[in-house]
Amino acid sequence: MISRFFYPTVMTLLVLMLVPKTASALDKEGVHKVLTTIDDRQSNSGDYKSLAYVQTTEKGRDDMVMEAVIYRRDADDKLMILIIKPKSERGKGYLRIDKNLWMYDPAVGRWERRTERERIAGSDSRRSDFDESRLAEEYDAEYVAEKKLGKFKVHHIKLTEKKGADVPYPVTEIWVDTKSGNVLKRQDFAASGKLMRTSYTPKWKTLYSESKGEKVWYPAEMRFYDEVEKDNSTIVILKSVDLRTLPANIFTKAWLESKSR
Amino acid sequence: MGRLILIAVRNLLLNKRRSLLLGGATVAVAMLLVLLAALGAGIQDTMLKSGTAIMTGHVNVGGFYKITSGQAIPALTYANKLLEDVKELYPDARQVVDRRRGFGKVVSNSDTILASLTGIDIMEEEVLRSVLRVAEGNLDDLANPRTIMLFEPQAERLNVVVGDEVTLSAPVMRGQNNSLDVTVAVIAKDMGLITFMSSFVSKDTIRDLYEMDDNTTGVIFIYLDDEDDAEDVQAHLRAGLMDKDYRLMDRQEGPFFHKFNLVQGEDWTGQKLDITTWEDELSGLQWTLKTFDTVTTILIGVLLVIIVVGVMNAMWINVRDRTREIGTLRAIGMGRARVLIMFVLETIILSTVAAALGVALGAGITHLLNAAQIPVSRGFQIFLMSDTLRMAVSVDSALVALIAIPLLTTIGAFFPAMRAAKLKPVTAMHHVG
Repeated sequence: MISRFFYPTVMTLLVLMLVPKTASALDKEGVHKVLTTIDDRQSNSGDYKSLAYVQTTEKGRDDMVMEAVIYRRDADDKLMILIIKPKSERGKGYLRIDKNLWMYDPAVGRWERRTERERIAGSDSRRSDFDESRLAEEYDAEYVAEKKLGKFKVHHIKLTEKKGADVPYPVTEIWVDTKSGNVLKRQDFAASGKLMRTSYTPKWKTLYSESKGEKVWYPAEMRFYDEVEKDNSTIVILKSVDLRTLPANIFTKAWLESKSR
Repeated sequence: MGRLILIAVRNLLLNKRRSLLLGGATVAVAMLLVLLAALGAGIQDTMLKSGTAIMTGHVNVGGFYKITSGQAIPALTYANKLLEDVKELYPDARQVVDRRRGFGKVVSNSDTILASLTGIDIMEEEVLRSVLRVAEGNLDDLANPRTIMLFEPQAERLNVVVGDEVTLSAPVMRGQNNSLDVTVAVIAKDMGLITFMSSFVSKDTIRDLYEMDDNTTGVIFIYLDDEDDAEDVQAHLRAGLMDKDYRLMDRQEGPFFHKFNLVQGEDWTGQKLDITTWEDELSGLQWTLKTFDTVTTILIGVLLVIIVVGVMNAMWINVRDRTREIGTLRAIGMGRARVLIMFVLETIILSTVAAALGVALGAGITHLLNAAQIPVSRGFQIFLMSDTLRMAVSVDSALVALIAIPLLTTIGAFFPAMRAAKLKPVTAMHHVG
């Protein structure tokens, strides 16, 4: 004798099998496309210059506000961060050439090679936060789920560093706005799985790039929260973004040294 | 003599209470002596075993390379040829390994520590592996590139676990600093003073941090079957390497990092080798060992004085208690010499049996304590160089207990026995008390 539950159960299973998968769940190709879109939208084939205001909050210390100029030449993967305020930090800078990150301190007149984990001027930001996005190049991606982040519908994607990639954290998770394609939230993890840092990018802006011939997206505000030292955080505000061509000699040690004289 | 021994044994058995008290005290002292010596020997053994695995080989071929007369780095250039020459000159070594030397900051998200950074091939390091105790992770993972092994207190201070990344930052040549990110592959248990500022990294890490080539290393460690041969092997290597036209530094005791100022002040450039033994490298630790030895010797001396005074006192009471018995023995014809021998024999038998029991008990307790792996406090770990109590019964201390205790108690018993033997039979028989 067939149970009275048999037909309803079979029907339910058939319906579940016939209903197409949720349209928002991305396959490998889809995830890759999300990453390349993020990278492409921020990439500027020419030069980049902006003013960065960095406010760092640390437990037991007064807040430190720093002003720096960011110079980028995306075609050659070059980056320069020159600190101009406060007076005590003036002339300090970072220069990235050939995948080496150099730090210059005018007080001792010495260059030191630093790594991707370097806290830029003691803040919770890293070099990569100021550079162009290279997610597709540096990470293998895995789709986690479509979620809600506040009022935003987002793609939650897990990124694992590719072999040989020089990134500050081996594992990163990003929450990408399905509508705008902007990264809204990011969490960085150590290889052990320990959460190291959470960051939010609440403001994104665009600017027309003549060299690219289309709009370039840039984060106008970034908020970083140290998950190890829970009371430490940093706010970065990027202003006065300029995409015009920079002088050729900027990305040299000599140029940075000359700025502190 | 046989009869005297029999009488002595019977006397001991008859006066059970007195024999037990005196014997018990002797057992306790012998046991304490063995335990104290075992603690000292345990510390010494651990220190030497750990020291010769972590900081030095039994014989070391190290040295300095100077680009200018004022700049020295602890490096050996043309390391492959030097390694071959060392193996050829002394083929009987138990093991020959090379390590790269560095020193710098280890930086995590929470804190920074200073540590020596020793580049090793963990798969080759049999001696090191035998002393390390893993708290977290797997030692073999240190074979992966860009990895580090920290000790528990370092990991706690840096607030890192296996899998976390830390940044190494070290001063290199021309007044420049270099940095490198490494993954914590393994965390080892605390080994006290000796590991306070030590950390081990994969060999490639030091090469990349200091931008060395593959044919450069820091030091060659030679492990021998018997560490007491170190001096002879050192002399043999010194002569052999000089014959092969290597330039050698003058012999000087002290670890290599104490020699920087001296080397930088000398007017030479290029490569010079420094051949040392484990005793040269651990000269700082030797002072600690000697201090502990002195304290142990004083304590043992005090214990022995206490037992001799105790035995003398007990024997005085014994003679007093047995004065009438002595009078009777003398009256029935026992000579003074035999009375003296009888009393001395009693002490020899009692103290020998008690000392043997004490040694056996001490050895047994040592064995049990070692098996129990009793954890020690962090403060004591610094001195003990181990996170658990380790003791080692030495043959010397057992022999001291077995020979010195009966000998000293016999000396202690001799004078009261002499007095007993000198008593006149009549006086002794009329003695009341």
